[in-house]
Amino acid sequence: MTEVLLVAGTPPQPGILAGAVRRLREKGARIYLVGALNQDELPADLGVDGLYALPEAIAKTPHSRSGLRAAPGERVWARLRREPWLRERYRSADVLVAMDAHAIYTVWRLAQRNRTADARYGVAAAVQAIAERKTRPAPSPLQRWTNGLPTSEIVRQGVSRLVQAAPHVAVSAVTARPLMRSKIGTQLWLTAVQAPRMPDSLRAKVAHQVADSMAWAGRPDGEALILNATARKLSQPAARAGMLAEAASQQLKAGIAPHDLKPAVEALLSVADQRHRVDENAAAANLLNRAMTLAFDRVLHIDQLTSPLAQDPEGFIAPFRRSLTATTVAAPRGRLQPAAPPPTGRPLRLLIATSANDNFLKLIRAHYEAHPGVEVRFVDLAANAALKKVTWAAKSMLEHRLSADETAYGAKVEERLRPHLDWADTVFVDWCVAPAALFTMIDPGTTRIIARLHSYEAISRWPHMVDFSRIDDLIFVADHIKDLTTTLVPQLQAADAPRTHVLDNAMDLRGFQIDKPAEARFQLGMVGINQVAKDPRWAIEVLRLLRRQDDRYRLLLVGGEMNPDVSIATREYLKAFHQDLAELEPSGAVRRLGPTNDVPKMLTDIGVIISSSVREGCHCGLMEGAASAAVPVVRDWPFFAGRPHSARTLYPEGWVIGTPEEAVERILTTTATEEAWRSAGRAASEHALREWDWSVVKHRFDRLILGDGQTS
Amino acid sequence: MPDNAKTDVSHLPVLPSPPVSASSGNGHSSYSARLGRRDERVRPHLIYLAIGFPPAAKSCAYRMRETANQFRRLGWDVTVVTIAAASWERDSGLDYTLSENVDPGIEIVELPLAREDLETDIRKFSEERALRPDKWLARLRKREQTIFPEPVFGGWRGTLEQAVVDVHRRHPADLLLASCVPYVNLAAAWKLWKECGVPYAVDFRDGWSIDVVNGGEAFTPDSEAGVWERRIMDHCLSLWVVNDPIAEHYRARYPHVADRVHVVRNGYDKDSVPARPRKADLDAGLTFGYLGTVNYSRQQLSVVLDAWRAARQQEPMLRNAKLDIRGHIGAGASREANSLTELIRDAEQDGVSFGGPVRKAEVADTYAGWDALVLILIGGRYVTSGKVYEYMATGLPIVSVHEIDHDASRVLTGHPLWSGAFGLDEMKLTNAFREAARATLEATDTERAAVRAHADPFTREGLMTRAVQQLAEYALSDARDLPVNNAAVHPSDGAATGGQSEAVRAGGVNA
Repeated sequence: MTEVLLVAGTPPQPGILAGAVRRLREKGARIYLVGALNQDELPADLGVDGLYALPEAIAKTPHSRSGLRAAPGERVWARLRREPWLRERYRSADVLVAMDAHAIYTVWRLAQRNRTADARYGVAAAVQAIAERKTRPAPSPLQRWTNGLPTSEIVRQGVSRLVQAAPHVAVSAVTARPLMRSKIGTQLWLTAVQAPRMPDSLRAKVAHQVADSMAWAGRPDGEALILNATARKLSQPAARAGMLAEAASQQLKAGIAPHDLKPAVEALLSVADQRHRVDENAAAANLLNRAMTLAFDRVLHIDQLTSPLAQDPEGFIAPFRRSLTATTVAAPRGRLQPAAPPPTGRPLRLLIATSANDNFLKLIRAHYEAHPGVEVRFVDLAANAALKKVTWAAKSMLEHRLSADETAYGAKVEERLRPHLDWADTVFVDWCVAPAALFTMIDPGTTRIIARLHSYEAISRWPHMVDFSRIDDLIFVADHIKDLTTTLVPQLQAADAPRTHVLDNAMDLRGFQIDKPAEARFQLGMVGINQVAKDPRWAIEVLRLLRRQDDRYRLLLVGGEMNPDVSIATREYLKAFHQDLAELEPSGAVRRLGPTNDVPKMLTDIGVIISSSVREGCHCGLMEGAASAAVPVVRDWPFFAGRPHSARTLYPEGWVIGTPEEAVERILTTTATEEAWRSAGRAASEHALREWDWSVVKHRFDRLILGDGQTS
Repeated sequence: MPDNAKTDVSHLPVLPSPPVSASSGNGHSSYSARLGRRDERVRPHLIYLAIGFPPAAKSCAYRMRETANQFRRLGWDVTVVTIAAASWERDSGLDYTLSENVDPGIEIVELPLAREDLETDIRKFSEERALRPDKWLARLRKREQTIFPEPVFGGWRGTLEQAVVDVHRRHPADLLLASCVPYVNLAAAWKLWKECGVPYAVDFRDGWSIDVVNGGEAFTPDSEAGVWERRIMDHCLSLWVVNDPIAEHYRARYPHVADRVHVVRNGYDKDSVPARPRKADLDAGLTFGYLGTVNYSRQQLSVVLDAWRAARQQEPMLRNAKLDIRGHIGAGASREANSLTELIRDAEQDGVSFGGPVRKAEVADTYAGWDALVLILIGGRYVTSGKVYEYMATGLPIVSVHEIDHDASRVLTGHPLWSGAFGLDEMKLTNAFREAARATLEATDTERAAVRAHADPFTREGLMTRAVQQLAEYALSDARDLPVNNAAVHPSDGAATGGQSEAVRAGGVNA
C-alpha cells in the first residue's frame, strides 16, 4: 500500500483537507498528516492513519534566534525537523506532499533524505504521483534501507552552509541572551561593529546578526544602538541611510520613539535626491516613501502624550522642505481651467468620495440626496477593487510626481477617475488622506474639488502628497487644525492655494436631549478612552482632587480600551491607568462602561462631561455631552494651548481650564446645587444646539457647496 | 463592398510574391480558381501557432481545432505549433477525445515548453524556490517580462521563434496564424515576417490591450506591450476577436487598420449538444448544471449558492433539486483545492456537487442529464465566453449569473427560456432559479424549438468556415486585394459569404 505523508505549513481549510484525504484514500493510500493544524477544526471523521499536530503559527513564530530572519518555510522545517514522529514517518513514505507553500521546503528537505519517495506540491499532483508509481518498478530493499542516510549532495550543501555561515556561527557563540542583556555585551559589540578597516559588507552582516541577537534578548533599544553605530561607519550613503532607517523602523515597530529619527530621515532624503537627480525616480520614490513612513509613524504622533510635530512643527518638517524630492512632489501643478460655476437648469451633480470611512458623511449624504437641487453619487474608493488599487498607492503616487506626471500609474488614475470627474460638477472628498492625493493626481478639468481635513491627517504624511493647487475649497473642522496644517504645508499659503473654511462636523445633537436624573450631578464622564491622546488619567487626577473635598463624585468611562501593543508609550500609560483603576474601581469611584452604540442613553447618567485630551479636532464626544446638558469641562489641549487658536477659541469662555485644580473649581462651582448644575447644563445644551447642530451647520454647508441663495 | 470603397493600402505589408503571377485582371478571381492554380505546383501552407490545441483540455481547443480543420478542407497544409501534451497535465489537463476529430493530415509540432510556475514535482525545485516560493515566482515573472512583456509566458519567446523559422525552412509557409493567448506567439509571428516575409494574422480572441474582465485599457500605447501590439497591428493581415465590443476597442485604438478587425464568434459544436432536452422528473428531482471553468470570485459563487439555497427553500419544485458543477477548478498545486472547492463542498447538503472536468466526448451526455443550466461568467461587456453558445443550443432554460452589461446578454437576448441578467442580485437570482424550475416543466415544444432556432446560426463550423475562407483568400491575394471593409463575420451575414465575386473582393465579409 502506498504511504502518503501530508505536510501542512499553515492550517489547511477543513473541507479541502477532508477532500484531499478522501481522494488519496480512493487511490488506496495510507495517509499521515503532520504540521500546523487546528485540531478543533479538524473533521471528526478525517480518516487519516496517523496525525501529529503542531501549533498553527509555526510558519510565523521563530523557533529560535536564527529564525528571526528566516523564511516561513525555513521556520516550519526548523520546527519539524527534530520531531521523532516525523523522522519515523518520512523514511517509509512513498509520496511526500506539501499542502501549502510554507510546507514546500520541509518536503524538499525530506526528499533529500528519502530518495525513493515522490515529492509533490498539492493533492492533485500527489494523486497523479500515486498513479504513476503503479507503472514504475518498486524501489529495491537496498534503496529503501538507505532512506534517511544523507546523500553526498546533502553533505556538500551542509558544509557549504557551514562555511558561508562562519561569521554567523562565530557571532552566535558570543551573543547569548544573558550577554546581550548586559551593558558589557552591548559595549563589546558596539566596539566590534565600529572596528576600523572592516569592509562594509562584513560590517553590515555582523551588525545584523548582533542586532538580531539584541532583539532576541528583548533589547530593541540595543538593536537600534548597534545598527546606528554601524551605519555611521558605512562608507556608502545608500547603505548608511538604509541601516539608519532600519534602526528607526525596528524601534517604531517595538513601540519606541527613536532618538535618531532625524538623521535617518535626512539620510534617506539625501539619497532620494541623488536618485531623483539622475532620473531614477522609482528608487527616489521608494526612499522618500520610507522617509515619510518613518517621520509620520503613529508611534511618534498618535500613540503618546506628546508629538515632535506639535512641539516644533517647522523644525520637524524642515528636512522635507530642504529635500529636492519632497519639494518636487509637493510642487503645485495647477489646473488648466478654473472650476465651472454651478449649473443652471439642472441639479448640481455632487460626487461624495471617501475610502472606507464614511462616519462623518451620513448626515451630509442624506441631506443632499433629499435635496431637489442636487444629484448625488457616492463612491467608496475602498469598495471598488480597481479604484482601491490606485488609491492607497503611496509609492506609485510619489513616483508619478517625480516623473513629471508621466507614468503608467498616472494613466490608470486618469482612466479610472476621469469618468467620475466628467460626471460631477463638484467632488467632495472626505478626509485629507489618500483619496485627496488621488483626486489631485490629475487635472480635474472644470470640476470643482472640495476636500475636508478633520484632525489626524494634519499629523500624517498625506497633506504632503496632495496637490492643493487642484483643490478649490478646503474645509477644516477647527481653526487650530487649520493653523497647524498651514504651518506644515506651505502650499496652503501660496497664491494658488484653495479657499479655506472652518465648518463644524455634521452632528444630530437633538437626539441627545434626554432628561438627567438628579444623581447625575455628581457623575463625571468621558466618552472615548481608546487612545493615549485621550489621557483619561488627567480626568482621574481631577476626580482624586475632587473626592478629597466631596466623595460623592464619581467618574464614568465610556468606550473601548486602548491597545497596549501599538507603542511602548501606550503600554506604559495603560499600566499606570490600570493601577489607577485598581485603586478607584473597588469603591465605585470609577466605572468603566465599555463601548456602546447608544451614547445618548449613556450620557443621561453623566452630569459633567470632561475632555481631558492632549489634542482634538473638535471633540464630538464633548459636544454631544454638552448637547445632553452635561456641564462641559475642557482641558486646554496641550498640543494647541497658548497658540492663536486652541480649545479656548473653539469653546465658550468658562468651559476651558488649564489645570486639574481649575477643573475641580469649575466642577464644584457648577454643581454646587442641583439648580446651578441644571442651569449650567441647560446653557451648554443651548449653545451646542445653536452652534453645532446639523440643522444649523447644514446651511453653512449649503452656502459652500451650492452657493448663496440655494440653502434649504 | 464596392470597389471605390477601397482604402489606402500603402501601409500594408507587401506580401511575398505569389507562385503564379498576377491575379486575373481586376482581382475578382474566386478563391477556388486561385487555389486551383496553386495546386498545380504546391499546396499553400499554414503555420498555426495554437498553444491550447487538442488534446489540451482548454476551452480554446475547440476553436483551434475547427480553424485548423477548415484550412485543411480548403486544401492547405497545416502545421500546428503547440506545447508538449504532458505540459497540460499540470495546467488544465488533457482530453484525448478532443483529438479524435482533428484532421489526420494536420502536422503537430509539440515544443518542449511548460509553465515552470505550475511544476508540482518538488524534486525539480531549486533550494531557493523551495525556501522562498513567492520570491522565486516574482523573479521568474520579472525575468519572463524582460524577454517579452507578458508574465507567465514571456520566456517562451526564443523557442517559439526558432520553431516557426525551422518549420518554414522545412516547409515554406504562406501564412502564419497566431492564436493568443499566449501573446508571446506574436514575437514568433513577427520574427517570421521580418526574416522570411511570411504574412501573419492574429486570432486575438479576447484581445490584449483591453482588460476584458474589469473593462478599460490593460496597458498604455507607450508601454512595451503597447509598442509590441502596435507593431503587430501595423502589419497584420487580419485580426480576429470574439465579439463586437472588443472589435470596437481595436478599431478605435488603431483606426488606420480598422478594416482588418473582424468579429469571429466562438459558436458551438453540434456534437456537444444532446439531440433533445430531457423530460423533467420532479419526483427524481430537477438537476441544474454548470459546465465550464470555475474561475470566478468567491463572492460570485457565494451569491449563486445563497440564491440556490433560498430558491430550494421557497420553491416546492426545487425541494429535492440538485446543482451539478462540472469543469476545472484551479491549476498546479491548487487544482481542485482552493476556496471555491471549499464553498462547493460546504453546500453539499443543499444538493450541490462538484463532478470534475468533462471530456469533450461526454459533453452532450452531460447536458442530456440536466434539466436547466446555470451560466456563471466573470467580466462584462467585453466577455462573451464560448459556453454561452453551447448552453443556448441545448434548448434548456438558462439562469444567468453575470453582469447585466455582458456580451453574453447580447447573445442570449431573444432566447425565450433565458432568465435575463441581474448581476449579483441574490433575490432576483433566487427568483430566476424558481422560474427556470417552472420552465423545465412548462416550456412548450414551440418555445424549445425557438430556443434552438436562436442558436442555429452559431454553429462553430458555420462561423469558422466563413472566417477561414476569408483569411485564406487574403493570404493568397495580391497586396491590393487586402480587405478594405469594416466588417464582421456574423451569422446574419451568412448569405453574403458564399464566395461570390463581390464577397471575395470584400474579403468574404459584409459591412
